[in-house]
Amino acid sequence: MRKSFIAQNPSVLWFLAGLAIFTLGVTFMSEAAGVDMISTSFLKTLGKTLCLCLVAIAMDVVWGYCGILSLGHFAFFGIGGYAIGMWLMYARTEGIVATSLDSAALPPTPQEITDAIGSQIFGVVGSSDFPALWAFSHSLPLQLLAVVLAPGLLALVFGWLAFRSRVTGVYLSILTQAMTLALSLYFFQNDTGLRGNNGLSGLQNIPGLEARGQAVVSLWFFWASALALGMGYVLFAYVVSGKFGSVIRAIRDNEARVRFLGYHVEHYKLFIFTLTAMVAGVAGALYYPQAGIINPAEIAPIASIYLAVWVAIGGRGRLYGAVIGAALVSLMSSWFTGGSAPNINLGFYEIKWTDWWLVLLGVSFVLVTLYFPKGVGGIFDALVRKTAVERQGDYGPDKGAWRNDEGKPS
Amino acid sequence: MTTLLEVSGVSVTFDGFRAINNLSIQIAEPELRAVIGPNGAGKTTFMDIVTGKTKPDEGRVIFGEKSVSLLGMSESQIAQAGIGRKFQKPTVFEAQTVRENIAMALKNTRGPFDVLFGRRADNREERIREVSDEIGLTDVLDQPSGALSHGQKQWLEIGMLLAQDPRLLLVDEPAAGMTPAEREHTTNLLMRAAKTRAVVVVEHDMEFVRRLNCKVTVLHEGAVLAEGSLDHVTKNQDVIDVYLGR
Repeated sequence: MRKSFIAQNPSVLWFLAGLAIFTLGVTFMSEAAGVDMISTSFLKTLGKTLCLCLVAIAMDVVWGYCGILSLGHFAFFGIGGYAIGMWLMYARTEGIVATSLDSAALPPTPQEITDAIGSQIFGVVGSSDFPALWAFSHSLPLQLLAVVLAPGLLALVFGWLAFRSRVTGVYLSILTQAMTLALSLYFFQNDTGLRGNNGLSGLQNIPGLEARGQAVVSLWFFWASALALGMGYVLFAYVVSGKFGSVIRAIRDNEARVRFLGYHVEHYKLFIFTLTAMVAGVAGALYYPQAGIINPAEIAPIASIYLAVWVAIGGRGRLYGAVIGAALVSLMSSWFTGGSAPNINLGFYEIKWTDWWLVLLGVSFVLVTLYFPKGVGGIFDALVRKTAVERQGDYGPDKGAWRNDEGKPS
Repeated sequence: MTTLLEVSGVSVTFDGFRAINNLSIQIAEPELRAVIGPNGAGKTTFMDIVTGKTKPDEGRVIFGEKSVSLLGMSESQIAQAGIGRKFQKPTVFEAQTVRENIAMALKNTRGPFDVLFGRRADNREERIREVSDEIGLTDVLDQPSGALSHGQKQWLEIGMLLAQDPRLLLVDEPAAGMTPAEREHTTNLLMRAAKTRAVVVVEHDMEFVRRLNCKVTVLHEGAVLAEGSLDHVTKNQDVIDVYLGR
């Protein structure tokens, strides 16, 4: 009776196949392959888009499936970026410092090296000491662990406090937004030790891979992003299918009823909230080395709101919808705001897309919400799935029950 | 017959309105009990208290041989302890199929990790089939339950309650919106269930209560007005005044 995982989720195969073809296609057209049809900067944009797709499916699981409209998942994304960025800055600066100190008459002591790294990194905020936050920045494995654990722990503590008090709906959204804002303001402070509004920069230079050149490194990151997206898709498809998915969708639709069935609703919400936060952290850790720079503005509440907009436009409650939404909107956003979109001259007024893109995005969000609540992904429903069941026949299950021709049961 | 549920001296006040006033009820196992009373008598609030939805201002609610107090427990803990509830308005998960609805209710471990990684019980499909046969929904197992009629949703909810396999069933107006034939089936089902467990039925319809042929508790203004067989309570002058007389 039990259908296999793939048979239950046909979209997984389609998605993985599509992603593989896309990745291969981009690879063969990339600069690294010598064809140069896709520039390295565009390759980075594509790689970043894949990371955004990954955080979007995490958002879709927490919002579209579990009904928690979190306005904080981009903060988890940013924390992942900061976690990897700290190692990248430390290791690269260490290399630079070592080279420059080599020419000195006396070989430098370890303390001198650390001090030199500190003043290189923190000179920009008028400091040279390593803050406590950077305690593990010398170690790649520990910082990689932090990519997952830091967002996970924050989500666990925050979620435990919020869900335990049974904060739901719009109040929970406001609470998550407040968390995001507080976090972003905290990161903005110079005292925090994350270089304030300068953020972390030069992240595209991966220590040890300088000789490879950006074309090759970008391609590697592109592959890693594609792999992470594929794995994230399979992971979440597994989570939202079967009985677990059944329970979280039930929580979305009627939380109280699920409690009376004997499920600890808070535990389920906490599980989903934390898991998606960890995946968001991974996505961020892959995104920012491709972007090259991260600063606190990246985790401002508006970013998390964009995330919700992508998922809404793409279609909530279906994983591929989130991917479509994130890819479509973020690529269009870089096209419109990058100045590539031709301006429209109306004679009396010229529509400059750099100014009007946000208006267009806002209007399309409203239109999608009003007329296509299933989003762009809903198109696939019409193509693939059968339409909603049309109930035929009798109303009741028994003899003597109301019949169709008697009209509605009272 | 041993006492399964003991509610004693419970009072609840909502904004100054005394919904439950020093209420004491005992339910044995197995037993079938009907609770009747005019609107606002506190029937649903009584269920809310037992299932943990409402916390009483005072009084005790004790369940099972170990005499566990239900007052400190959450709704889900109470449900796991063995108390199932059917709501007045059918509340099934409309976006999901009948099968998924029943599978969720099946008695099983309830933790997130158990549910995510746990293997399915071997007899799961069998148990779903048993329940769906009982409620006459086997043909529509794979339909979204939102497509069911009102009567069928009532059935599905009763089926989910049976799948939970609780020791105490609290059933709020099970026959609302049902035809005579469906009502008869419901009556049989409840009476059969009451052979092995405790069943409390809240109902308006006197004919339905008469068919259940069980002990009746009449509530009025949040307290017990009379208790006994249906014939006994319908002869009671107080009951006639507040309920049957109007």
